[in-house]
Amino acid sequence: MPSSSSSEPLPEFLSSVKLKYVELGYRYVMSKLVTLVLFPVMVVLLLETLKLDPSEVVSLWRRAQGISAVNTLAAVFLLVLVATAYFMSRPRPIFLVDFACFLPAPSCRVPFATYIEHARLVPFFDEKTVRFQLRILERSGLGEETCLPPDNRYIPPRNSLKASRAEAELVIFSALDQLIGKTGLKPKDVDILVVNCSLFSPTPSLSDMVVNKYKLRSNVLSFNLSGMGCSAGLISIDLARDLLQAHPNSYALVVSTEIITPNYYIGKERSMLLPNCLFRMGAAAVLLSNRRRDRSRAKYRLLHVVRTHRGADDPAYRCVHEDEDDDGNSGIRLSKDLMAIAGEALRANIMTVGPLVLPVTEQLRFLASLVGRRLITAGAVARPGWKPYVPDFMRAFEHFCIHAGGRAVIDELQRSLRLSSEHVEASRMALHRFGNTSSSSLWYELGYIEAKGRMHRGDRVWMIGFGSGFKCNSAVWRCLRSVATPVEGPWAECIHRYPVDIPEVVKLL
Amino acid sequence: MELLSVVSALLLLCCLLSLVRLAVDRWLCRRCYLLDYVCYKPSDDRKLPTDRCREVIMRNPRLRLPDYKFLLKIVVNSGISEETYGPRSIIVGRREERPSLADCHEEVDDCAFATLDQLFRRTGVPPSRVDLLVVNVSMFAPAPSLAARIINRYGMRDDVKSFNLAGMGCSASPVAVDLVSNVFRSRKGMLAVVFTSESIAPNWYSGSDRSMMLGNCLFRSGGCSFMLTNDASLSRRAKMRLNCLVRTHIGADDEAYDCAIQKEDDVGRVGFHLGKNLPKAAVLAFTENMQRLAPKVLPIGELALHAVRVIRHRLLKAAATNSKEPGNHERMVNFKTGVEHFCLHTGGAAVIDAVGRGLGLTKHDVEPARMTLHRWGNTSASSLWYVLGYMEAKKRLRKKERVLMISFGAGFKCNSCVWEVLRDLDGGGGVWEDCIHRYPPQTLVNPFLEKFGWVNEE
Repeated sequence: MPSSSSSEPLPEFLSSVKLKYVELGYRYVMSKLVTLVLFPVMVVLLLETLKLDPSEVVSLWRRAQGISAVNTLAAVFLLVLVATAYFMSRPRPIFLVDFACFLPAPSCRVPFATYIEHARLVPFFDEKTVRFQLRILERSGLGEETCLPPDNRYIPPRNSLKASRAEAELVIFSALDQLIGKTGLKPKDVDILVVNCSLFSPTPSLSDMVVNKYKLRSNVLSFNLSGMGCSAGLISIDLARDLLQAHPNSYALVVSTEIITPNYYIGKERSMLLPNCLFRMGAAAVLLSNRRRDRSRAKYRLLHVVRTHRGADDPAYRCVHEDEDDDGNSGIRLSKDLMAIAGEALRANIMTVGPLVLPVTEQLRFLASLVGRRLITAGAVARPGWKPYVPDFMRAFEHFCIHAGGRAVIDELQRSLRLSSEHVEASRMALHRFGNTSSSSLWYELGYIEAKGRMHRGDRVWMIGFGSGFKCNSAVWRCLRSVATPVEGPWAECIHRYPVDIPEVVKLL
Repeated sequence: MELLSVVSALLLLCCLLSLVRLAVDRWLCRRCYLLDYVCYKPSDDRKLPTDRCREVIMRNPRLRLPDYKFLLKIVVNSGISEETYGPRSIIVGRREERPSLADCHEEVDDCAFATLDQLFRRTGVPPSRVDLLVVNVSMFAPAPSLAARIINRYGMRDDVKSFNLAGMGCSASPVAVDLVSNVFRSRKGMLAVVFTSESIAPNWYSGSDRSMMLGNCLFRSGGCSFMLTNDASLSRRAKMRLNCLVRTHIGADDEAYDCAIQKEDDVGRVGFHLGKNLPKAAVLAFTENMQRLAPKVLPIGELALHAVRVIRHRLLKAAATNSKEPGNHERMVNFKTGVEHFCLHTGGAAVIDAVGRGLGLTKHDVEPARMTLHRWGNTSASSLWYVLGYMEAKKRLRKKERVLMISFGAGFKCNSCVWEVLRDLDGGGGVWEDCIHRYPPQTLVNPFLEKFGWVNEE
């Protein structure tokens, strides 16, 4: 039950809820109405049949035997037809066969000392700016093994188109090669390709680059999404899902990455320096399938994808924004109310996800609390004692992958959703080991959970991504088979050292 | 027990009815209707007549006389008129080498907001009704995305599905339509808005590599917003319905991939390189695309006839030992048996002519594309919609006729789609309204040919 302290999690959680979200819940109930109605009808029929005398049963049986063979055959045929049609009409299941994440070479590592030394040597930053970046690093939750692309480490950093393409080729091809090795996928079998990279989109696109390198078929459906922020990985999954629903027996390849090389900020504005400190190199490749024969070898099944876009609200639209500072240097500006806006977006997203995933008891309790509060406030009788009920999401999911945007984001979400430290461990450790890898971070976190041997058959995973726009996107997966601890992958070499204790502030100097 | 049989019969009936309803819904979802489209007409202060082109070219301190001649030759022979438009910041010479983010945004905003305002007004559909938004601007992808910018400006719902495509080149219009028609299959009653344009200011090439200067000469400002739906209740107001769509990507071929690519020149300036292999890649992609499209649009009769022709030709070739007759060329399949109108990408006069020849088209058939190139230049992915606008303004589009859209783009891609016209289109209120009476003009020759004609000598 919610605590009675004044700073309870999601303080405006329910006061900001509009009734339309309740309507959403009702709509889902109505869609299952047929089942709900059929059930009592079946029960009544059963009771009626049980109430019959043995003699009546016998006479029924005799009558049934009297029915001609043709009629029985017709009835059976019709039933089989109906059943087949019903099963074929259901949306195709989408399986995640496997995924692979890019493991940077140790030579790309940027321990704090290296980062600060580089910041001092480049001609753009004064001592104050360097000290500011140092303070960010101390509190960032990043570790000493995060990686930056080699061209970023030059003095001054090289941000040419050629260097950016080189980084893209390195991270994307590496992840794809790994994925192909794991799944035995033949590039000619790929039907759908979706690539997302927010801050680097050359022409031809990165998806064309993949088609060229792996010699994909000429009728492949390729899409390249750009500018969509850190939650674009889930947007790509959403697009791949819609395409797979329209095309039977297909493979979809989804590649999520962020290219760091062209985005090094060389100015002094503080609100634009955070991406330099937090963003690191990474990429993930995911193979989705809707072929029924892949069910036995697939790891996960996609249950839901829910997207929420707060762009209509001006502060939300502006809170993560590419801008030029007074000297004309471009960078990503982060506003101070980022956390509050993220919280709002999450609430809006939960309103749609909740009815899909929460157990019925939790939903009923939440609904009752909501209706009760509405009635009370409508009756204009102030009842400060009636606390809003926060649904317990730990009953709906076994694992949580929260976008490792930064320590503050993970802290805020842990508080809002009232998660235990074990639930957010994957996010914190991914942030520590790999930094903020933008849209691919969710896959590094999933890799962590697998590497720890915690993923069992039937477990449900909730992936939550946030990104510029402002968007909050969720995906819900169900594990189809217990995943053995992977022998290769980004966590293989270091999982035994995790989890580590990450102090609030790492004192560097 | 009558109760039992009655209830079972009722349940069965319910099941059957719901299945029928499901099947009907699924069938309806596949439909993709074009409600309306609005092309962009920039303000007159952005016109780029040859004189102004010359001014802009001369501003580049890195060019020498041979380069000026080369560029002017391109401009004069391009088939582009004095009425095309360019980005404001380039025309006034403001920060050509490193345009400000504000200028880049202004260029796209002008186009997006003008066309979308008009689209919502004409269709009477409020922005809050939009379920799906696709934005395609190949060479400018800021964060937050342009899709988010549009959502912010029009206050769209928070469950709107937005997709921001980038880097997909000049053939991205059919790609956006493909995306929309696929997403439509997941739910009925959806409404989608697509905005397609190109961003010239941030990609202005300020170096001296000739293969990269072509882009500066040929690309012009333009854009289009269009509205698609799979809602059967809106189909009465729709202009066209999508019949089929074919996408061909020959990026697996290295030469094709490299023939149109953004890269740095020898001194590190970024530009869009158009290579010598471009026509060859275009032909390969085009042939493959048409081969896959033909069975979907042509009547069986024509396909059978073509098969017979091919077999006969092959047999004759095999049988002929020392033939005295000139070689019999294989006749192209006649697309005009399946399609009445042709929207060709206005990549350039050579592209239009080549495609026209390949499809066996007459001057009348390629006129919309040539006139669009003349009036608007190469507006990249949105060019197909200007061509469609010409046909509509000329009142050529009648009910039940089919329109074939073909476009080419970097990658290398060739994408095509076939629409069926749902009602006689009278062409009111398009961008061609004020000038259609002047088309086709007596001559397409650049009036400055005399003045700059000396470039054609040597």
